[in-house]
Amino acid sequence: MPYKLFDVDEDIPERKKHTYVKHCSDPEDCMPSCNTKTVPGSMSERGCAFAGAKGVITGALKDVVHVVHSPVGCTYYAGGTKRYPTSPDMPDGSKFPIENFNLKYVCGTDLMESDVVFGGMKKLRQSLIDAAQEFPEATAIYSYATCTTGLIGDDMDAVAKELTAELGKDVVAFNAPGFAGPSQSKGHHIANHTIFDRLVGTQEPPSTTPYDIGLIGEYNIDGDLWILESYFKEMGLRILSRFSGDSTHNEICFMHRAKLNLVRCQRSATYIADLIKEKYDVPYINVDFFSTEYCAENLRTIGKYFGREKEAEKVIGDRMAKVAPELEIYKEKLQGKKVYIFSGGPKSWHLATPLEKELGMDVTAVASQFEHEDGYVKMKKRVKEGALIVDDPNSMELEEMISKDRPDLILAGIKEKYMAHKLGVPTIMIHSYENGPYIGFEGFLNLAKDMYSYIYNPIWSMLEFEENPAGSEEDEGLTESLETPNQVEMGK
Amino acid sequence: MSGINVIEKERTLIVNPLKTCQPLGAMYAVMGVHHGLPMVHGSQGCSTFVRYNFARHFREPAEIAVSSLHEDAAVFGGRKNINAGIKNLALRFKPDLIGAITTCSSEIIGDDVFGFVDTTKKELKEMSQEVKGLDKIEVIPIPTPSFVGNHFTGYDIGVKSLVDALAEPGEPTEKVNLIPGMVNPGDIREIKHILALLGIEGLLLTDTSDPFDSPLRPSVTPTEPYFPKGGTSVDEIRDSANSQGTIALCKYAGSGANSLEKKYDVPAIIESPPIGLQNTDQFLRNLKKLTDCEIPDSILDERGMLVDLIADNAARYLFDRKVAIYGDPDMTTGMARFVGELGMEPTMVCTGANSKTFAPDMEKISKETGCDIDVLFEQDMRSFEVYVKENPVDLMIGPSDGRLLAQNLGIPLIRVGFPVYDRIGYHRHPIVGYNGAARLMELITNSVLEKYYEPSHWKLQQ
Repeated sequence: MPYKLFDVDEDIPERKKHTYVKHCSDPEDCMPSCNTKTVPGSMSERGCAFAGAKGVITGALKDVVHVVHSPVGCTYYAGGTKRYPTSPDMPDGSKFPIENFNLKYVCGTDLMESDVVFGGMKKLRQSLIDAAQEFPEATAIYSYATCTTGLIGDDMDAVAKELTAELGKDVVAFNAPGFAGPSQSKGHHIANHTIFDRLVGTQEPPSTTPYDIGLIGEYNIDGDLWILESYFKEMGLRILSRFSGDSTHNEICFMHRAKLNLVRCQRSATYIADLIKEKYDVPYINVDFFSTEYCAENLRTIGKYFGREKEAEKVIGDRMAKVAPELEIYKEKLQGKKVYIFSGGPKSWHLATPLEKELGMDVTAVASQFEHEDGYVKMKKRVKEGALIVDDPNSMELEEMISKDRPDLILAGIKEKYMAHKLGVPTIMIHSYENGPYIGFEGFLNLAKDMYSYIYNPIWSMLEFEENPAGSEEDEGLTESLETPNQVEMGK
Repeated sequence: MSGINVIEKERTLIVNPLKTCQPLGAMYAVMGVHHGLPMVHGSQGCSTFVRYNFARHFREPAEIAVSSLHEDAAVFGGRKNINAGIKNLALRFKPDLIGAITTCSSEIIGDDVFGFVDTTKKELKEMSQEVKGLDKIEVIPIPTPSFVGNHFTGYDIGVKSLVDALAEPGEPTEKVNLIPGMVNPGDIREIKHILALLGIEGLLLTDTSDPFDSPLRPSVTPTEPYFPKGGTSVDEIRDSANSQGTIALCKYAGSGANSLEKKYDVPAIIESPPIGLQNTDQFLRNLKKLTDCEIPDSILDERGMLVDLIADNAARYLFDRKVAIYGDPDMTTGMARFVGELGMEPTMVCTGANSKTFAPDMEKISKETGCDIDVLFEQDMRSFEVYVKENPVDLMIGPSDGRLLAQNLGIPLIRVGFPVYDRIGYHRHPIVGYNGAARLMELITNSVLEKYYEPSHWKLQQ
């Protein structure tokens, strides 16, 4: 049987169908069950639909003020998003007055008990007006439903529509209360559809060229987008619209005018690419810029589409010349190291093959908190025979895996990181990154560097006190054979 | 004549809140129980966001379960979810205690969590014939919707729920109950250190020090499941009914103390946190009042070292400097009093949450320091920002949420409170007690030296 029941899941046997061990001979539709509700009490790593809408999709926009229609908690937490930096540059050449506006401010309606009893519409209305006053520079106002507003039934769309006319700027309501759907994935879905229905096609870009691309599902985590942007620029392509890293409200409104859409995060944003294709006939291709090989391959495909093959080759050549020698050094060190990729969405399949092929690592387990079937199909293709694929993992499963399999490194989120450390296994944050960006040629080098610095951090060889350490009698002090990162040529 | 000027929020909108939700506080209280697990009855975000916040502040794991409410529960109620959640936790983790914490969603759909927990406990009892020990697991309902109160009222309800459910009268003990408030492991350890010097046995309700600052020792760290070391045991909480008294070290978290006094005649003292010299003095006097202990030389020497530090440096480097403080009401009143002791001026104090004692406390501090204080009451970080831009200060004191503002304005920020995620080690060192005050004094003075003296380097010549 390709499914595996962890020992710790003895009491929740339904977990068995979420844990799949890859066998190359299995039929294609044999993979972990996914996109279903989490077993209550199982310490899952999932977030809610609200987190998916605000935290992932819209929180990366640089000129929008966000008003969370909630008691104070959801608003407070919506402030702690991923590292999505934004520049002040606007599509019309002007500058937005507040840098990283999206990281600096989050607003809410601070619902109280009386609002829950009598409804929160009045408060929402006033709050949106206040938001327009407090941040006149903001191009638009987005407002979010939460569990509370979803349950008391406030008609947020009505208020948004009314105020769009009254305030003279777009006010958009996102109806993705926390309890919607099995995971944050539902929030991505709702946000994509809301943006498409409400915004896409409502404006025209200041100018167009035959080389306009739309970059979809790229959120500029730790500056990822800026790396990709430099490649496209050098290839003579222009990013017309970004969805939604370092993007603007207006870019979203005219994203239907791109000549080709590139879909980076295929879990959270394929929805909108599909909708645009259907209505506006803009084709899209799925792209993969993690690792040097995928990056080169995808730049070539894009170059070919626009007749810019030579330019693509130049970008690839330039970057490879810069990163290849250093990557070689890390490859030597990372060779054979056993690693888990426990990402939120698609990084598990983006990174599995590159870590093995380009760095010689051994990916023995991958997981996703909110992936759907299409994602697991790709994940299954890209891991090797015997690798474990876990849907919606919980912390006890991770513990069991660590104690039995002893990986050298785990790529996961902050919630798993510190527990894995307690069990003696270094963990890199793959959601927000450690010292990113991790995308593209330079980014893959950063990832390799981070993996190296974690695995070879001297502390992991000193976890326990030893009364009689090996070789202590012969050598006093430091032995020369002791390998620390300081002694490795960093190739700089 | 000095006084306070209370400034309340004029807009309806809240921008960058200076408070968060009740469930977070309740989870914090439950995390301080030995082998205690919080089980949030709500949507998945309700546990995920709090785990994220604890993890980034403490850089420690925070195991918090959730009942995963979805659309069906919104329609039909969440009974199945909480029942299954508690049973799964009980079977898989075998904790000593589960805190069943409600949220906005479970409260609005009208779930009777007390009833559900009772039913589940009965089921656990039946199941214990097959799986030993399930009937021994305490399951405590904690009602904490986020549309009421804030994180520290949630903490208060958490502590009170634990005490109300567990405290049992028995043989009187010499112990003193302490409700530390939402403080850091370093603070709790400092409180324990003070008790040790006075020879008093303390009973912490609850003790988050070890759970949130736990050693990395793979050979002894219990795996499968991972529980951090430490925390107050269920038996200790039971015994809290028999102590000599209870001191709540924050004015917002006295409900548990009051409850013990009412039910079991355990005298309650509810005071400001022992931040700074005079507040720590008051803490010692309170302990003496309850236990009639001697105040030994060892602790008076620690006090003397703090006095020495202040005497040596405060007048030269700190006098007259203006400070703006933001955060929880008790932390900010404590800090305001302390900066006053240093000869600085707490010209503005901003708090996000409602607290009855806040304004009177600030009034008192204003008289003590002779400084007019603008009090931003039930305000947010945006109001703080607007105020500071118009009324410049020399220093800011508060959690990391003010870091970008401090950077923009070039004002040194002394990181105090929750959360601090852009510096390391702040949760490990105390701000309470004489030692905590000494450390704060050093942080404040060194920031002043770096910002205001180093640019003209000759001023640092002795």
